[in-house]
Amino acid sequence: MSAQDPLRETPADEGGAPRRRFLLDDRGFDEVPPRYRRFYRRWAGAGDQLAPNEALCPVCKVVVRSTRELRPGDRLYCMACMSRLLVVSGQDGRLEATVVY
Amino acid sequence: MADFLSAYSVQQWLESAPQGYLMDTEYGHPPGEKEPGLVLGDPLLREQAIRTTVQLVVGERCALSASSGLINAAPDEGSKRFLATQTLDEARHTEVFTQRLFDLGVPKADLESTIRRYANPNLVKFAEVLLEKVDRKDFVAGVVGQNIVLEGMAFHVFEMLHAGSQAVNPKFAHTLSGTIADERRHVGFGENRIGSLIRENPHRKGDVERLQKEMSYYMLATFADSFRAGPAQEEMARLRRETGGASGKSEWQGVDLSELEPREMEAVLSNTVLAEFKKRLERIGLEYQTPVRP
Amino acid sequence: MSEESSDVHQLEPARFFEQVHSFEFWFEAVEGYLHGLDHGHRAETPEAVLAPDERERLITVLCNYCVGETAALEGAGGLVQIAPNRASKIFLSTQTVDEGRHLEVLVNRLRELGVADPEVEIASRATPALLEFKRRLLALVRERDWLAALFAQNVILEAMEFTVFQAHARSADPRTREVLQGIVKDERRHLGFGENELGRRLAAQPGAASRLAAVRRELDPLVLGSFRDTLLRIGGRREEGADLAEHYRAAVTRLGFA
Repeated sequence: MSAQDPLRETPADEGGAPRRRFLLDDRGFDEVPPRYRRFYRRWAGAGDQLAPNEALCPVCKVVVRSTRELRPGDRLYCMACMSRLLVVSGQDGRLEATVVY
Repeated sequence: MADFLSAYSVQQWLESAPQGYLMDTEYGHPPGEKEPGLVLGDPLLREQAIRTTVQLVVGERCALSASSGLINAAPDEGSKRFLATQTLDEARHTEVFTQRLFDLGVPKADLESTIRRYANPNLVKFAEVLLEKVDRKDFVAGVVGQNIVLEGMAFHVFEMLHAGSQAVNPKFAHTLSGTIADERRHVGFGENRIGSLIRENPHRKGDVERLQKEMSYYMLATFADSFRAGPAQEEMARLRRETGGASGKSEWQGVDLSELEPREMEAVLSNTVLAEFKKRLERIGLEYQTPVRP
Repeated sequence: MSEESSDVHQLEPARFFEQVHSFEFWFEAVEGYLHGLDHGHRAETPEAVLAPDERERLITVLCNYCVGETAALEGAGGLVQIAPNRASKIFLSTQTVDEGRHLEVLVNRLRELGVADPEVEIASRATPALLEFKRRLLALVRERDWLAALFAQNVILEAMEFTVFQAHARSADPRTREVLQGIVKDERRHLGFGENELGRRLAAQPGAASRLAAVRRELDPLVLGSFRDTLLRIGGRREEGADLAEHYRAAVTRLGFA
C-alpha cells in the first residue's frame, strides 16, 4: 500500500468477508490502449446492470471494471476520461463512484 | 488552395504517422531498445548526450509553442488543421526527447534544473525572436521563422545526428528517423504555404528577411557553442577505440563525420543548413540574408 | 509504458496522470477506433438518401458543429501556450489535433452531402450565439486566463458537444453516425481533462469558483441555447434537451459552483 495515496487504504478489508475475484475479458472498449481495454466497457442502456466489480464513471458514463469485488473506499481510475474515482455507498445503499480531483 | 492543403490534412497525417512509421513504436523507437551501455557508463559521453538532448528539448518546446500559437493566426481552415497536426508532432518530439533524458539517467525531479543548466542561451534567444512574432499573431513571419528557419535547422540537425547514431545507438537513430519524417511535412507546408502568401503580400518581404537573418545568427551561435564546447578530437578518438571501431563510418553530406574535428562538423552543419535556407527562400520569393558569423 | 503494472487500478496517481496525458497514450488509444477509417467513417458505409428538407437541416447542424470545432481548435491551440506545465501542454496538443480532425471530418461530411464550398456555407449558416461564444473563448485564451478558458472550452463546450453528438448519433444516417461516434470518443478525454484540472485547482484555490461562476453566467446562454436548437433540428426529443442541461449541471455541481 502506498503512504502517498489515501485512496489505497481499504478498511473494509480488515476482518471483512473475502472479496470475490473476477477474470476480466475484452468487451470491445476501443478508446484506451489495448492492454487496458478489459478494465472498461460501455453502459448498455436501460436494461444494463453493474456487476459487483463494476462502477459507473460519473464524468463520462463508462463502466469501470475491477479484478476484485468493489468495497467503499476503493480507488479506481477511468482511463477514458482520465478521472480518479473513489467508491462510496450511495444514498440507496448501492455502491457509486465519485470523482476525486 | 483546397487541393494543396489536402496533402496536409489530418486524415493524411493519421495514415502517414500514427498508422505508418510510428506504428509499433514506443517513444519513437521499437519497444525495449535502450541507450548503449557505453553512453550510460562513460561520464563524458553521457554528459554529451544529455547536453545535446537538452538542446533538442528546448527547440521542440519552442516549436510546440509556436505551432500551437500559429493556429489562431492562420488565415484559412486547412492551415489551421495542418498546424494542429504539427502541434501534436512537436509535442511528441518534446515527449520523446524528454524521455531520452530520463533514459540517460536524469531523475524526473531534476528535469527542469538540468534543462536550465545545459540550455544554450543562443538557442533560447532564437526561440524568443520567433515567439515574439507568434505572440503578435504574425502568420507570415511566424511560418517563415518556424517552418523554414527552425524546422529547416532541426531537419538537418536530426539528419546529422541520425547519421552519427545509426551504428552505435540504434534507439536514438530510430527516434530521430520519426522526427525527420515529421519535419519533412513541416518544412513542406512552410515552403508551399508561404510562397503564395509572400506573392500576395510583397510588402512583408523586408521584415521577414530581417527575421531570417536574426534567427540564423542565433542558430550559428548555438552550433558554435555546441561544437566548440564538446570533447576534443583525441578524447573522441579514444572513445571510438573503446567501442572497438563499432561506430565505423558516419556518412552525411558526402563526408565521414567520424573523421572530422568538431569545428569541421560545425562548418558542415552550418553550411548545409544555410545553403538549404537560401534555396528554400528563393523558391518562395524571399532573398536570403547572410547572417553575421559568431 | 511496457513495464507498467497490468492492473490499471494499481497505478500510483502521479504515474496514472503522467500516462494518460502523454502522446503515447493518445496514440495507442485513438489507434483503436480510428484505424482504417476514411474521414471518420468506414469507406464501405453507404450514403443514405435524404429528403431535401432533411438534408438542409443536417447541413445547417453540421455547419454549426464546424463553428464549435473551429472554436475548439483555436482554443486548444491557444491553451497549449498558456498551460501551466509540460504534461498539460502535451495533452492539449493531442486535443488540438483531435479538434482539427473533427473539423476536417465534418467539413468532409458537408462535401459528401453536396456542399460545394463548406467555408461559405458555414459562414452563412452559423448561429450568431455560437460565433459570440467563440469570440469570448478566444478572448479568455488571449488574456491567458487558464482557468476560465479551460472551463469555457473543456467543460462548457466539450460537455455540450459530448451530449448533443451522442443524441444526434442515435438518429443520424449511417455515415454521420460513425463520424459523430468517433468524435464522442475523443470528447471523453477532453471533458475529463478539463473537469479534473479544474477540480484540482478549485480545491487549492476555492476563491476562483466565483470567477468561474461569472464566466458560466455569461457563456451558458450562448452555448446551451445553440445546442438546444440543434437538438430540435435533428429531431431530438425534449427529454434529450433536459439531458443536455442535466449532464452539464452535474459537471459544474461536481466542481462546486452550481
